[in-house]
Amino acid sequence: MFLALREIRHEKLRYGLIIGMIVLVSYLVFILSGLAYGLAQQNTQAISSWRVDRIALNKDANDSLSQSVISKQAADKVKLTSHEAYLGQTGVVAKAKGQAKLSAQFLGIDRDQLIYRRLKVTAGHKPTKANQILVDDSFKDNGYRLGDKVTLNAADGQYRIVGFTHNAKLSVAPVIYGSLGTWRTLSHLTPDFQASGIVSARANFQAKGLSTLPMSQFINKLPGYSAQNTTFSFMIGFLMVIAMVVIAVFLYILTMQKLPNYAVLRAQGIPAKVLVTTTVTQALLLVVAGLLIGAGLTLATVLAVPTGVPMSFNLPLLGAVTGGILLTGVVGALIPVKVILNVDPVSVMGG
Amino acid sequence: MPALALQHVNKVFGHATNEVTVLDDINFEAVSGEVSLVIGPSGSGKSTFLTIAGGIQTPTSGSVMVQGQALDDLSGKDRDALRLNRIGFILQAYNLVPYLTVRDQFTLVDQVKPTGNLDESALRHLLEQLGIAALIDQYPAELSGGQTQRVAIARALYQNPDIVLADEPTAALDSARVKVVGQLLRDLAKAHNKAIVVVTHDLRLQEFADRTYAIMDGQMSLN
Ligand SMILES: Nc1ncnc2c1ncn2[C@@H]1O[C@H](COP(=O)(O)OP(=O)(O)OP(=O)(O)O)[C@@H](O)[C@H]1O
Ligand SMILES: [Mg+2]
Repeated sequence: MFLALREIRHEKLRYGLIIGMIVLVSYLVFILSGLAYGLAQQNTQAISSWRVDRIALNKDANDSLSQSVISKQAADKVKLTSHEAYLGQTGVVAKAKGQAKLSAQFLGIDRDQLIYRRLKVTAGHKPTKANQILVDDSFKDNGYRLGDKVTLNAADGQYRIVGFTHNAKLSVAPVIYGSLGTWRTLSHLTPDFQASGIVSARANFQAKGLSTLPMSQFINKLPGYSAQNTTFSFMIGFLMVIAMVVIAVFLYILTMQKLPNYAVLRAQGIPAKVLVTTTVTQALLLVVAGLLIGAGLTLATVLAVPTGVPMSFNLPLLGAVTGGILLTGVVGALIPVKVILNVDPVSVMGG
Repeated sequence: MPALALQHVNKVFGHATNEVTVLDDINFEAVSGEVSLVIGPSGSGKSTFLTIAGGIQTPTSGSVMVQGQALDDLSGKDRDALRLNRIGFILQAYNLVPYLTVRDQFTLVDQVKPTGNLDESALRHLLEQLGIAALIDQYPAELSGGQTQRVAIARALYQNPDIVLADEPTAALDSARVKVVGQLLRDLAKAHNKAIVVVTHDLRLQEFADRTYAIMDGQMSLN
């Protein structure tokens, strides 16, 4: 630690530049993973907010909510507890007078059931009548206000926004919560149909006659979701690998430049182990400093970007990224360890 | 038992037609309480001799014994320990770590060898004797050649070694300083029973030596 710190103190510019490089690299990786995760979130935020474990869909729907309809007859065969809820889904275009059209996901829910109970309202109240709707905050960002009358698709009838809710996105579109009756109207279905699917907060929920699957599997089958995630995983993966190689190369060069000094220390009888520890400690100090500043910059960026930009972070991903960069630092510093161990004191003696 | 003994030591650099014999059947002994001086012209093999004696280089053939222990028999780790604890090296050039102040050069020794070093007052006395007490917060780049050399001497002696190996310790010093350093090394031998080996072309050091060897084209003889 002593040697590591003294050297950094004496060579401020050189070490400053290296820390700066690690800052930029980690900042880039943090921001990109934040954006990727933010986008992934927008596919599923609404679903996550219900905190449900399983979903039952029509057997022929190929696990897709938008392809699924459950008849009243089939629905009646499934006994619902307070842990289940009907869900009717359809894509809509919302329009209010003087506002831009907005593509959205309409979700019909039952006022006595789980989803309705678990909705969190940020302004206004939950719908209590069939012509009332609760919409995602992004409507507000687009100029919609409480009390606005909204038409959905070309269908007759107007629906009044009575409340806003936060983080209600499904397949990257804002969600409109309304009644199951409205869902039937928008989907041109008769009352013979009950819902698109049934969600349950019970891990062992099974619906007779329907195909029941865990939420994780359902989410992976959301249109575009896994394709998007694969793309981003590869982007972040490649970025990480390249970032790691760059950092490792820099630390390698740094260590190689120190060999003459190490030769002096070896001639003085300083054990090679001390030099290796010094090298690794120093690499860790540089990388940790870079990561901390990078994280600080990321935080500042998150606070500065407009709300429309999806950015969110999850700890496992951040942990993996941080751990990877730390590991790289150690590896980069350790690649020349054989050279350090074999550094020839005579090489610097002169004369 | 001599503190340091070289027996039939040869050192050959290069291969085949480029082969150069730098040390040719060297036999040498240094005993505690004496200053041994090895005098020879440039290129005669002085530095090579000293680095082999201190275990920094290995001989092509022959053996080096430190306090009765053959260096050949020691692992690299034990050789490091020996060098750290028993041998003080004053190198000919580039002795100091550039990013440590004079004070920190000593702190570094404390870090890797916490015990057996000079205490604070002994160090201060040594620095004053060498006339470098005022330079304690300077970096090596801010020192003159002679000051650097004196700091290197102090650093080697700080470890309180049994054997001091010095390569041209007076090359950059004026006559007055040569006397100080010569006397200092002689005091160490006499008062502290250390074995001092100095290689040099500086004849001014002769008066401080108990024995003087001459080295010429890799061959050593006792004067
Ligand atoms: N690694 C090496 N490879 C080849 N030749 C070497 C090597 N090291 C030293 N020599 C040669 O060995 C000879 C003796 O070198 P050495 O450094 O021991 O001389 P020296 O007596 O210390 O000289 P000076 O008084 O200039 O310091 C020189 O001719 C030198 O060129
Ligand atoms: Mg020499």
